[in-house]
Amino acid sequence: MSFLTIEDVSYSYQGKKPVIDEVNWKMEKGEFHCLLGKSGCGKTTLLKLAAGLLPSDKGRIILQGKEVVKPSPECGFVFQSPTLLEWKSVIDNVLLPVTLKRKRTKEDWNEAMELLELVGLSAYHDRYPSELSGGQQSRVAIARALVQKPSLLFLDEPFAALDAITREELQDDLLRMCSIHNTTVLFITHDLSEAVYLADVVAVMDKGEIVFQSRVELERPRTMKMRYDPYFNELCLTLRQVMGGERV
Amino acid sequence: MKKMPLYSFLLLILLLVIWEMAAGTMSELVLPAPSVIGFTLFDGIKSGYFTEHIIRTLSEVLLGLLFGGLSGFLIGILMGEITFLRKLLFPYIIASQAVPKLALAPLFILWFGFGMTSKVVITALVCFFPLLESTVTAIQSSDKQKQELFTMLGASRLQTLVHLKIPAGMPGILAGLRVSVVLAVVGAVVGEFIGGSEGLGALIIASQGMMDTPLMFATLILLTGIGMILYQMINLFEKKWSKPYKKES
Repeated sequence: MSFLTIEDVSYSYQGKKPVIDEVNWKMEKGEFHCLLGKSGCGKTTLLKLAAGLLPSDKGRIILQGKEVVKPSPECGFVFQSPTLLEWKSVIDNVLLPVTLKRKRTKEDWNEAMELLELVGLSAYHDRYPSELSGGQQSRVAIARALVQKPSLLFLDEPFAALDAITREELQDDLLRMCSIHNTTVLFITHDLSEAVYLADVVAVMDKGEIVFQSRVELERPRTMKMRYDPYFNELCLTLRQVMGGERV
Repeated sequence: MKKMPLYSFLLLILLLVIWEMAAGTMSELVLPAPSVIGFTLFDGIKSGYFTEHIIRTLSEVLLGLLFGGLSGFLIGILMGEITFLRKLLFPYIIASQAVPKLALAPLFILWFGFGMTSKVVITALVCFFPLLESTVTAIQSSDKQKQELFTMLGASRLQTLVHLKIPAGMPGILAGLRVSVVLAVVGAVVGEFIGGSEGLGALIIASQGMMDTPLMFATLILLTGIGMILYQMINLFEKKWSKPYKKES
């Protein structure tokens, strides 16, 4: 039994042509999967379906043997924009998931500080989001998603608005943090090298279907050098061709 | 730009001087000089002549603001949250917006008498709509992704409202409150115009009857002062509330 199974899932917006058309997908515990696709191919919809934010029209989504009908507390979600609450300080933002469930304790605070330490922002814990740069805001958003130690993490192009170098730093941060708790990750992006660098498995979506998938045979931990490896580039080229419309 | 407050103040002095000179050429009945008005104002405050009127008008304004504002805010939240209610009530809201509410003042005096109640009702009615409208808009316009974040975190509807929609909508709600505060003074004064012997509005009518123009001007200054103080209080509250996260210049 897989950790997360997506079975024949379809979804359409108000009776129009399906955005997601009978997609099947399987993820094992601790794996990092990247979904690639052009804008409007339905990848965000698929992610929301998997997270239980949208109800599927057909098919089912099974997380650890249980069908997903609403967002599970075991899942974290990072959105395209950092979605921090401007009126709360960084530490309060990270602790938001806890605050909504119960009274927060000293231990919660310490854990949140550890997470901020991991993303290099512990010195900024009492600042407000407007005082941070875009990259720092994304880091806080990731720390917030991880504060409840989710076993499954969904990310929807979280680094799309960042510059290349910051993006690479954040990719390393993310990989490091997810490997600590053996978090399973479903990551959406339109950036080829980002997908190959992060993932154990990459898949390409087009018009609501998964048209290509491949394992990434690179060692972990991933290093900067691998980005210039011939294998890395070849895989990027293949993915590029698939995304350009050529079926392999 | 640091000297701007000073320049504003100098302009005030200049205007007062021009006024003083212009008043010298006219009858006091038409345009009393600032010095005469100042004397009347100071004298009235010292002797306690204004005190009861100020208290009366201020309590009407504050009570009206409390009832009107609070109900506008609460109904605004309900209408912002419950689509059914919003669609049901919206035609009536638009219709009632078109009614000149101050024109209802005589009716309220008929219903609630010449006492304070009728004035509080008028004031409350005038305060109600700006806050209702701004609250409905503010509650509805909160960020979709943030709402999804709260769904993802398993937040209840009430939690989403308290932790997301109300704080996120605060600037809009406070803008509505600012409009309400200024209108509240208008509401109370118009109420007093129509019926009543107490309050600054009644005092204006009385000074007209007595042909005491300096007293009328002094009362106007007091009313302006009340309006400005209330407005500044809202501003101060807004600054204090939003200071932490609006530091970027």
